[in-house]
Amino acid sequence: MQERMTGFRCKGCSRLHYPRHARCLSCKGTDFEEVELGNECKLLTYTKLYALPEGIEMSPLLLGIVEFPNGVRALGQLTGDDIKVGLRLRPRWGKLRTLGEKDIYGFRFEQ
Amino acid sequence: MRDVAIIGCGMTKFGRLEGKGLMDLLAEASLRAIDDAGAGDRDFDAVYVANFAAGELTRQTAIASALVDQLSLLPAAADRVENGPASGGSAVKMGLLAVASGAYDLVLVAGGEKMTHVNTNIITDIVATLSQPDVEYVHGVTLPSLAAMFTRLYMQHHGVTEKHLAMVAAKNHANALKNPYAHLQKAVTIEGIMNSVMIADPLRLYHCCPISDGAAAVVLCPADVAKKYSDAPVRIAGFGQATDTHAVHEREDPTVLKAVQLASKQAFEMAGLRPSDIDVAELHDAFAILEIAQSEDAGFFRKGEGAKALEEGKTAIDGELPINPSGGLKARGHPIGATGVAQIIELAWQLRGEAKERQVSGAKRAYCCNFGGFGNNVVTHILERMD
Repeated sequence: MQERMTGFRCKGCSRLHYPRHARCLSCKGTDFEEVELGNECKLLTYTKLYALPEGIEMSPLLLGIVEFPNGVRALGQLTGDDIKVGLRLRPRWGKLRTLGEKDIYGFRFEQ
Repeated sequence: MRDVAIIGCGMTKFGRLEGKGLMDLLAEASLRAIDDAGAGDRDFDAVYVANFAAGELTRQTAIASALVDQLSLLPAAADRVENGPASGGSAVKMGLLAVASGAYDLVLVAGGEKMTHVNTNIITDIVATLSQPDVEYVHGVTLPSLAAMFTRLYMQHHGVTEKHLAMVAAKNHANALKNPYAHLQKAVTIEGIMNSVMIADPLRLYHCCPISDGAAAVVLCPADVAKKYSDAPVRIAGFGQATDTHAVHEREDPTVLKAVQLASKQAFEMAGLRPSDIDVAELHDAFAILEIAQSEDAGFFRKGEGAKALEEGKTAIDGELPINPSGGLKARGHPIGATGVAQIIELAWQLRGEAKERQVSGAKRAYCCNFGGFGNNVVTHILERMD
């Protein structure tokens, strides 16, 4: 289990990335440090997905894109009712899906 | 670089084609294109085959090698080209570059996909593997879900409504009624679309393209010898291709299709044309919002004004800029590897004046946008009638 959701700061130009890239999207630098993204983020857009892919059980699946105060955005599953744009959410570790026989864990966003 | 012409076009009907395998479809479309070019007795230098997921969907790989063998085109060079939903556009571009460079003189480009025999949730998952694996795919992202989140943002920022989405779908369904190759040939009403089942809120079933089988093929040669083959060759006047961040959330403005903007600019510059010079366009309307967004980012309408142009009828077959006279992905269907080639064929037929009931009168120049990934790899082409 991972405690905190993290992004990757380029040591050359300070640009924050999520996910990690082999080279910085701004300066092509290759040195990164892992930084915490924070405990609260804001919902920018979302969907309730009814046509599910193989390996997902939750129906409908709530997916959204959030933004952290440092400007980093992330996509993830949402939990809770009455979802709307602008909602304050917190990242929380949990099971996301199964791939083959394997359970996959990661951060979801909850109210 | 040499000028390159399209001298032959052929495609299968798109749809649920039971009893026909991927290789049957590719061979059928290819033979029609070769016949259309009058090149039945000619040796081809190379064959490019666009396909997204034959290994996963039909358990066949190395399909370009298989196709040249089927078609008795040995010992032609053969390559499979995969660029997600823009595989077809990429394969046409590869053929174009090969002829333009002088390396090859006669090239076949075929694209195809066999999909409808696989369960929808498995196909949805296979297509979703084109998304960013660590921060998109693991969460259960699908292409419709990315399109839905894009649609919601577009509605907030650019005033697009659910009715606009339905208008795109209704127009393209009406166009497809005049296209015998189209997968979905039925009239649908705005109300019917707005009441169809929810796929990914706010996207309903009729805002999304179907899953289809089908293949399409074109024959390319240097423009200066094109008239030896065809009475009505079509010149490829320009092309473009650009990429964008893999994860959609990393884009500076997630409502801007930057790769469409860049790839379009490249194609227009190469052709020495402006968007206002275009008479007909095929856009990648896998989801209704994409036709509106691409019509803006390609430069035909200002950002935020695509929906208004649609409302005013500008994108209808008899409008200022007809978009998707074929029915688009929405109604012609979307056999993934075939789509980019089928878009080019529709435009070649339009420029040759062979589109019958859906003919855009006097069409001389055409634009095409094939949208790979969720906009992270986009291929454009501009075609021109050779008079």
